Amino acid sequence: MPAERAGYTVTMFLIDVSPSMGATRSVELPPTPNGEQRITEMTNLEWALQFVKLKIQEMIFNGRKTDQCGVILFGSEETDNIIHEKNGGYQHVSEYIPITHPSSTTLAKLDALQPSEHSGDPIDALIVGIETQDIYLNKRRTWTRKIVIVTDGQSPMEIEDWEATVKKMNANAISLTVIGVDFDDDEFPFHEEDKSTIKVENEAFYHKLTSALDNGLVGTCVFALQEIARPDMKQTKSALMGTVLRLGDVDVRPEEAIEILVKASKCTTLARPKSWKKFGRREKTDDQMQVDEEEDMTVFAQLKMRSEYYIDHSTKEGEEQDKMNTGSDDEEDNDKNLEMVQKEQLIRGFKYGSTYAPCPDGQFRRLNTRKGIDICGFFHAKNFRRELAMGEVQYIWADPGAPQQQVALSSIVQAMYEKGVLAIARLVSKDGMDPKMGVLEPRVDTNIDFLLWVQMPFADDVRKYTFACLEKLVSKNGESVTKHPYLPTEDQLEAMGKFIDTMDIMDSGEKDDEGEPIPWYDTRQSYNPAIHRTKQALFHSAVVNDITSNPLPPPHPELLKYINPPKWALKASKDAIAECKAVFKVKEVPKKAAKVRKDGHVRAMDEDEDMLLLDKKPAASRKGKELAASQVPVSPKLARPAKESAASDSETEEESDQEPLLLEKRPFNALPTPERSMSPDVDPGRAPGRIIGSTYPLRDFKSNLAQGDVVTKAVEDMGVIIKEVVLRPFASRRHKEMIECMIAMRDTSLKEDEIDAWNAFLRDLKESCLKGAGNPEFWQEVQKLGRSISLISEPEAKKLGGHSEFSESASEEFITQ
Amino acid sequence: MPPFDDWNIIDEEEEQELQDAAFFDGKRDVILFCIDCSESMHELRDDPNYEDVKTSHIFTALEAAMNIQKKKAIVGPNDSVGIVLFNTTRSSETKNHATEIKKNSFVYQPITLISAPAIQELIQLLDAAREDPDLLKSTFPPLTGKKMPIGDVFTSCNWVLRDGAPKTASKRVFLITDDDNPHPGSKQLVTSARTTLLDLTQSGVQIEPFFIATPEKPFNSSKFYSSVLLPNVLNDEDEDTGVLPESISITRIDDLLSQMRFHEVPKRAHFSIPFQLADGFVISIKGYGLVTEQKKGTYKYFVDLGDRMEVANSRTVYVDEDQQAEVDKGEMVYGMALGAAPVEGASDDEGEGADTVCRAVPLGKRPFYTADEIRSFRTLDLEPSIKLLGFKDPAELAFEDSVKHSVFIYPDELKYSGSKRTFSALLKKMIEKKKIGLVLALTRRNAAPVFCAMLPQAESGEEGGWNEPAGFHLIPLPFADDIRAAPLEEAFRAPDELKDAARVWIDKLCVKDGAYPPDSHPNPALAYHNAQLQASAFREEFDPEAFEDLTRPKYDMIHKRAGNLMKEWKRALLTDESANVVPVTTGSKRKADVSVDEAEIRSKHEVGALTKLRVDQLKDFLKSKSQPVSGKKAELIERVGDWLDAH
Repeated sequence: MPAERAGYTVTMFLIDVSPSMGATRSVELPPTPNGEQRITEMTNLEWALQFVKLKIQEMIFNGRKTDQCGVILFGSEETDNIIHEKNGGYQHVSEYIPITHPSSTTLAKLDALQPSEHSGDPIDALIVGIETQDIYLNKRRTWTRKIVIVTDGQSPMEIEDWEATVKKMNANAISLTVIGVDFDDDEFPFHEEDKSTIKVENEAFYHKLTSALDNGLVGTCVFALQEIARPDMKQTKSALMGTVLRLGDVDVRPEEAIEILVKASKCTTLARPKSWKKFGRREKTDDQMQVDEEEDMTVFAQLKMRSEYYIDHSTKEGEEQDKMNTGSDDEEDNDKNLEMVQKEQLIRGFKYGSTYAPCPDGQFRRLNTRKGIDICGFFHAKNFRRELAMGEVQYIWADPGAPQQQVALSSIVQAMYEKGVLAIARLVSKDGMDPKMGVLEPRVDTNIDFLLWVQMPFADDVRKYTFACLEKLVSKNGESVTKHPYLPTEDQLEAMGKFIDTMDIMDSGEKDDEGEPIPWYDTRQSYNPAIHRTKQALFHSAVVNDITSNPLPPPHPELLKYINPPKWALKASKDAIAECKAVFKVKEVPKKAAKVRKDGHVRAMDEDEDMLLLDKKPAASRKGKELAASQVPVSPKLARPAKESAASDSETEEESDQEPLLLEKRPFNALPTPERSMSPDVDPGRAPGRIIGSTYPLRDFKSNLAQGDVVTKAVEDMGVIIKEVVLRPFASRRHKEMIECMIAMRDTSLKEDEIDAWNAFLRDLKESCLKGAGNPEFWQEVQKLGRSISLISEPEAKKLGGHSEFSESASEEFITQ
Repeated sequence: MPPFDDWNIIDEEEEQELQDAAFFDGKRDVILFCIDCSESMHELRDDPNYEDVKTSHIFTALEAAMNIQKKKAIVGPNDSVGIVLFNTTRSSETKNHATEIKKNSFVYQPITLISAPAIQELIQLLDAAREDPDLLKSTFPPLTGKKMPIGDVFTSCNWVLRDGAPKTASKRVFLITDDDNPHPGSKQLVTSARTTLLDLTQSGVQIEPFFIATPEKPFNSSKFYSSVLLPNVLNDEDEDTGVLPESISITRIDDLLSQMRFHEVPKRAHFSIPFQLADGFVISIKGYGLVTEQKKGTYKYFVDLGDRMEVANSRTVYVDEDQQAEVDKGEMVYGMALGAAPVEGASDDEGEGADTVCRAVPLGKRPFYTADEIRSFRTLDLEPSIKLLGFKDPAELAFEDSVKHSVFIYPDELKYSGSKRTFSALLKKMIEKKKIGLVLALTRRNAAPVFCAMLPQAESGEEGGWNEPAGFHLIPLPFADDIRAAPLEEAFRAPDELKDAARVWIDKLCVKDGAYPPDSHPNPALAYHNAQLQASAFREEFDPEAFEDLTRPKYDMIHKRAGNLMKEWKRALLTDESANVVPVTTGSKRKADVSVDEAEIRSKHEVGALTKLRVDQLKDFLKSKSQPVSGKKAELIERVGDWLDAH
């Protein structure tokens, strides 16, 4: 019997659709976000099908063409199977899905299953299943055969001759799994009350059947569903890559230089969660009203990625710079400045400062390197700085086919091990590839000697930041300070010492084979929650139709094993923790500014520049606020109270375009407004409480509209901002922009029934512009647009179901005067 | 050539996970070199590098500025640099609008994006100055007899920065001077210097002083600067705590460049999150990437517009291909790939011809997740923080427990007061008790939680220069999913004699008290790339011959020290009997003995009769030499020939 290989398997699912499978049951759902317990009703069939669907989903997930399955129903209305066709009999058994590699259709078909009115015989189905599988695998003898029966054990079975079936199954090396709805399981433990006699008998028979098989198993469905969520690792066997271990100059001094044929293979490699596919809800279009049934269906289409290239023609200084980095955030507004270009027109190149160095191949000539691992020298293991190791580890083995090479490597490994040294080694994975520096550690295992290689940093990779010393503090007068809130006292040190002692997890209470205590936490048992939870979620979404009503079950306990410190350690350290809390008196600083920064950090994933700045320079926002004050010279002593008050001050400072030099840093809006999570770039020119800032008003306006339900506020704020900008000195350079804003605002007002707001705004604007220190030039520009920008008149409003107090002629007149 | 296009198409989730490096790219940095031009700076001295050449401090300072620019042009092409000289009688001709550059300071390079022409100009000036040592003095004549008030210098810096620095960039002034007491006896000037400096720091500018000391003229910072540079030089986050700020570099002129290198990249925290020692016992920390792989810059796409090159920005959109409709990011939902589109005709899915896979569910139902739900799967709904799980012995952290670079953490007093003393006590006690910590870390909201070993590091107390800071290194531990089992379990072992023969040359090649020295290994591939990039930007010819790879083993040294011993070991290896055992090949059922020994193949090769060999023989030979065995017979023969020629 060959070892089981991945794929090359046909699994037959035999599913009971007898009437009894239609019985409903309550299934507990994970609690809602607010902690309420939820329960849903589903039929036993739906419930048990989850197991089948998860199994099939795994096949789809792994994507192996040789991982195939078929579905046979028993208890079905019709009879449709190969034995019946040939010999008759075998009633109510039908081949539902022929053997093939499953796809989403397979799952959709399973969803359509309903309990029938007839009961079917599982043994009939088993025989049909064996036969169908056998015929299909006629030419593929080596494939693994599996059969899964899903049943509630409530239907009568004809069990004569079952030994013959067992014989046949053992001969074909078929493994059988019986998934029983509410079967008893002493180990799980599960026990069903009031079990019918027939079920008791059937269960006993299934146990007899499976134990007679070489490979048989009965499981209760609830356990099977739980186990299927257990983290399951994809075993990957690393390939052995041939390379050479060298010492010395093999070209010039070959008689001295050493060369050993070795193989490298991965020892650790970062596994990542499966990626998600993106879907979009398809909007109904007229020509798509095809089949009648589909009318009340929502269709989700898988999206494909497409890259588009643009050149930015915007001439606005500074802003252009910002846009470079924010990229796609604000394409809407920028569309007019962007020109789409075809990828074929593009030339690759690099930036050297602001200079461009074209490089058509996308790559300069590479350094000429030779494949292999060159040893540069040895150093003592105790001097190895663990924190410098940069990544994944590789095994270095002597060529398994060459004893001499094995002996050669072994001698070096043993010698290194004995002396306690590591080697500095330069690795080139392929001819012409970039070299990497690393260290080799010798390993002497029970039957083999090998090396481990890990990458170490180049000079370029190490950042030498300076940090203030934690222990030595120096006062202003240059004296060393021994007592300071930053320095721990003796009491504090002692409390911390106790804490460390009691939180020691070297002894988890368990012992290994040699009686040595096993420490708590083992990398080999810590599963990456992101990977397994994502996989569970992927599977779940593939088998249920609605996430909201059937949410993802909680993670498997195995995933959460190490998430919290062990209970026994917490118990032991209870007093020490209490003491630490008492002596260290750590307090959260309730500063508002700090709060903002915290929020800012939480969203630091956004690559937005502003946010990052906010994040890294906590003091920046405060300083920015002070700036206004600092135009008057302040002495350092005076500055501090100003700092305090500024921090709590609600921000009223406005953007002053006329003084761009003075206000480089503007305060960030401290109030978390709801839309911030949507558009992470915080507009420095936006006053608190306003949802539109003066820096990019149109963009803000549009993004707010896109969110809906803040239209009134958006229109109102837009009006305020336009007026504000227009009435500032030197506003002329933004006239064009403001007119665009007005057009957008009018358009929205008209459509969203904010007609009165627009009319009021426009009259106010006209008045303000024409007033003493107003901006008559701007109003002239507005007038040029004529009627289309004027007050919204009654006829205009009526068309869209709105109202206006102005007649058409009043509107006409308003703009021309 | 690797398919570079694929690199751009990183899946989004991955991007968020991988952003370590990208983190630094987004932000721009501005450095203003502010160089003293006084007479003592102009004084000619023996050049530290070249004999018979006399250079001045100002020359070295400008040269350092040039080198920093060169480096920055590559690592931070969006960064800006400027150069201001003070204590010179030369005045800025180009009176910019409204700027108030004070008298006796001269803007040599206004703040602009780093560009090749600007660097070349500086290089030319330096080359000329090397020829004619008095050139710099005549170009930037020093102010004689008196000194410009330092306060005015700061004011000038402030104006220059306001003129040119982008709003959001981090701004720093590198102050280079050798005068430790510019205003003896003038209290007023000290106060004004302090006030103007405060203005500067308040507008977000940091001063990083580089004070030059010479044996004849040591630099005493307490004379003037320690009272001026208080309180927040270099450390914008610390409030005035009555404690002197950290390092002010006082350096010999030869170290100026290396000192500047430390400050080349502004110090930026990767994350700033709470550190939970126990329930209700929380401090705050910041994380820094002290070891991060520096990669070659990514290439950009350009459009040739005839007169100039313009960068083309790329934008990724997601489209429903059947309908050619772009889908907004906010409305996207996420789920499992649907597998291949169903082939069977009887399916109820979308009509034929459509290659987009769809999934239809009853109206109002949603079989997919939102972006928020996806994130909660990845983070297990944890908030960004570090949680202590317990303490272990250092030996528990094995060599192979490595998947990713480490992160350095340092306390942050701003969010939780008392963080520093607690952190300090924890560090001290852990070092004392020789323990390492085990923590669960979720450093960013979008990352995935990961277990880390927490290694304490004591400060290495070396005066001057750069100290290893005190703090913890977080070393991400592999998950079970990341660990690959050893594929081999058995091999021939060397006898003790052979081991001893190896031991002697290892002894010779072992550096006493040595360690892995990152500093002596600059990345050759990166340097090679950058050299070509620079040549291309300067429109110069690149000479690959002139390039030296510093990471190549020191062959001469190796052979000199251990050559003979290695030869001995090789001889011992050949005579070792275990080496001559014929390997028992497993799993070969039918193969007759096809192996041809090397000598035979070599002789065939010499007479050009390799074609006589069979493909399986060629393959066996290649396999035994760890060569690829793919390809047609002709290719195999060629490969065998190549190998034999090379060995």
